[in-house]
Amino acid sequence: MSQQKPTPPILLGAVALGAAGVLGTYFAAGPERFWANWVLWFVLMFTLGLGSLFIVALEHLVSAKWSVPIRRIPERLATLLLPAIPVGLIALGAVPVLYPGSRPEAAHHPILAGKAFWLSLPFFSVRTVAAFVLCVIALAVLVGGSLKQDVSRDPAFNFRARKFAPAFMAIFALVITLVAFDWISGLTPEWYSDIFGVYIFAGAFLSGLSATALSLLYLQGEGRLEGVRQDHLYNLGAFLFAFTVFWSYIGFAQYMLMWYANMPDEVIYYKVRLTGAWRAITFALAGLHFILPFFALVTRDAKRDPKRLRRVALLMLGAHVLDIYWLIFPALGGSPRFSWPELSFALFFLGGILLWVRGAMQKGEDMPVGDPFLREGLEFRL
Amino acid sequence: MSDKKAYAVLGLFETPDALMHAIPKLRAAKLGTVEAYTPYPIHGIDEALGLRRSPLGGMVLVMGVLGALTAFGFQYWISAIDYPIITGGKSAASWEAFIPIMFEVTVLFATFTAGLGMLLLLNRLPFFGHPVLSAKAMKGITRDRYALALEAESEAFDSAAAAQALEAAGAVDIEVLPAPDRSPFLTSDYILRTLGGIFVACLVAGLGIFSLIKWFPLLAPMKYMQDQPRLNAQKASTFFKDGHGMQPPVPGTVARGYLPTATGTQDASANLVNPLPRTKDVFAQGRKVYTNRCEVCHGALANGAGSLTAAYGAKPANLQAQQFRDYPDGKIYWAVVNGKNAMPAHAAYLTEPQRWAVVHYVRALQRAQNATDEDLKVVAP
Repeated sequence: MSQQKPTPPILLGAVALGAAGVLGTYFAAGPERFWANWVLWFVLMFTLGLGSLFIVALEHLVSAKWSVPIRRIPERLATLLLPAIPVGLIALGAVPVLYPGSRPEAAHHPILAGKAFWLSLPFFSVRTVAAFVLCVIALAVLVGGSLKQDVSRDPAFNFRARKFAPAFMAIFALVITLVAFDWISGLTPEWYSDIFGVYIFAGAFLSGLSATALSLLYLQGEGRLEGVRQDHLYNLGAFLFAFTVFWSYIGFAQYMLMWYANMPDEVIYYKVRLTGAWRAITFALAGLHFILPFFALVTRDAKRDPKRLRRVALLMLGAHVLDIYWLIFPALGGSPRFSWPELSFALFFLGGILLWVRGAMQKGEDMPVGDPFLREGLEFRL
Repeated sequence: MSDKKAYAVLGLFETPDALMHAIPKLRAAKLGTVEAYTPYPIHGIDEALGLRRSPLGGMVLVMGVLGALTAFGFQYWISAIDYPIITGGKSAASWEAFIPIMFEVTVLFATFTAGLGMLLLLNRLPFFGHPVLSAKAMKGITRDRYALALEAESEAFDSAAAAQALEAAGAVDIEVLPAPDRSPFLTSDYILRTLGGIFVACLVAGLGIFSLIKWFPLLAPMKYMQDQPRLNAQKASTFFKDGHGMQPPVPGTVARGYLPTATGTQDASANLVNPLPRTKDVFAQGRKVYTNRCEVCHGALANGAGSLTAAYGAKPANLQAQQFRDYPDGKIYWAVVNGKNAMPAHAAYLTEPQRWAVVHYVRALQRAQNATDEDLKVVAP
């Protein structure tokens, strides 16, 4: 049951401090640095929300019963899409600064001129707004409907959600591809990769799973979510394990084909990331996003050990941040930048996300009590 | 019942709950190994029976890692050590190219270990029929009954006591299973005979196929790699417009290692610095190049009196002349690369180090003919 607890002042202080740093960044470190950070955190927020919503929709799509008791957690995390919308609308300010496709020079670039319409600011904005509208609709149907079911106990929601889930998968594919192609790969418009959307999907799903596992363990620590057992944890751990492999599979497949073909316009993307200090970050990413979690979760006991799972989930969230940083920041040119602007952005946005999630976790029921499959989900054994 | 040894005593239960309740009682009685037979998996039965954790997971992990290492080792050995071929401009030991194969072999080793390890090692298949399979209760067990067996662990197994314990634990029906006449599991004799049979079958089939191909040439195996179209050196070809199989390189082609530093005019290259150190090896190389390429005109002493001079009346430069002794290294290098007057360009058959080595050697020849007193001092080794 919900319990209202006062917001810890340290969280508010961190956000305030971060906000000051964010403003300072714009004036002291220049708009490019500011917008790069802003886009980084917009993408992180958005992929976390979208990945969580994907978990919810996946459950409805395949009529999974085991995840019903923990479904409220990704549902609450998915509401992060709402604060991500204003952040995303502000992020449109980055387009003329950071995205070469919408600068006036692009008209004279042989490749960019052909993509001019797609990359121009008006159409960019239209796509972004359309993606937001689609997300809000999906949020209203899947999460809003589920919240209403707590009161109405109407099983009709399950049928509606099951019918909507396939449509959501199409929406999801479109939106995540737009995020990947517009916001990330748009920074290097001469470069393109068909699989890039799938790569971002893998990261988004992983971040959603990790946040779900972390919140689940946090709620359990508070003595809530009674009835959720190690068997549920195991499934989350197995998902995490599987998708670290999936992420590396996609990431490596993309790298290997470009490395093999050695086409200048493609391979430059990796050339940048494999020289200087970026090289160390690339290898760190492979270690933190794949090798470490893979061996940390490989045994059966590890997947249901709360302590281990909490650490790996934290690691995966950090690795996801590193992953998106690794994708966005080379666009600024030169060696990786990490200093007070990045720290204050992290403080501001992490604090904001934590505040939002904290608030969401305290509202309403901890489990979808109106779902007719809740009992079956609680009885789930491996 | 008592005259024949029992393999196990089987007790039937009507519900899984009854079965689960009976397990701790029977395990506490310590009459024999408790084994359960149910039509479907029952949650928690592993813990109740006290089954040890299957070693299969660890075996699969070890074999998977071994598979990855095997694939990496094989590919590394083939592509980097045994037969290095540069493909697509990549270095011979490109680990990126090994990854897909490593992945496949990892999966191969892991799945084979999982499948065969489970069937052959852990389940000890194949065997000739388990005593439980001939129980009368088997029909029920595969449908809607749940059975517990107390299996004999030693000669001292008391089937009557076991039957009593089962009944006390709530079994509705008891059946004593007689021990089989011989071990149901494979004996080494049987395994050897099977392997021998497989070997003989392979031998016969191989010999048969070999003789068919040998004596009936029409049944040749696939030969398409022998008969593929190709371009032959020094032969005509319809592939290219000029009808030649061999084609000259594209104009401006420079072989690897042959790209000259000196472009532009001779004066422009005056400032080039000889990158090679003055070592014995470099002078030896320069001497070899000079003997092969330069001596015939410029002469062994670089005085322009080579053997061709007399024969054809050519007038090669006397490199001992003051003009050439004052030349900077770069201008000599430029002449080697581009040629000068009647002298042809040597860029095509001298590598970059060879060109600079011969510059050093020419310098040595010049100094040898114009030695100062300083040069005559013997330097202590």
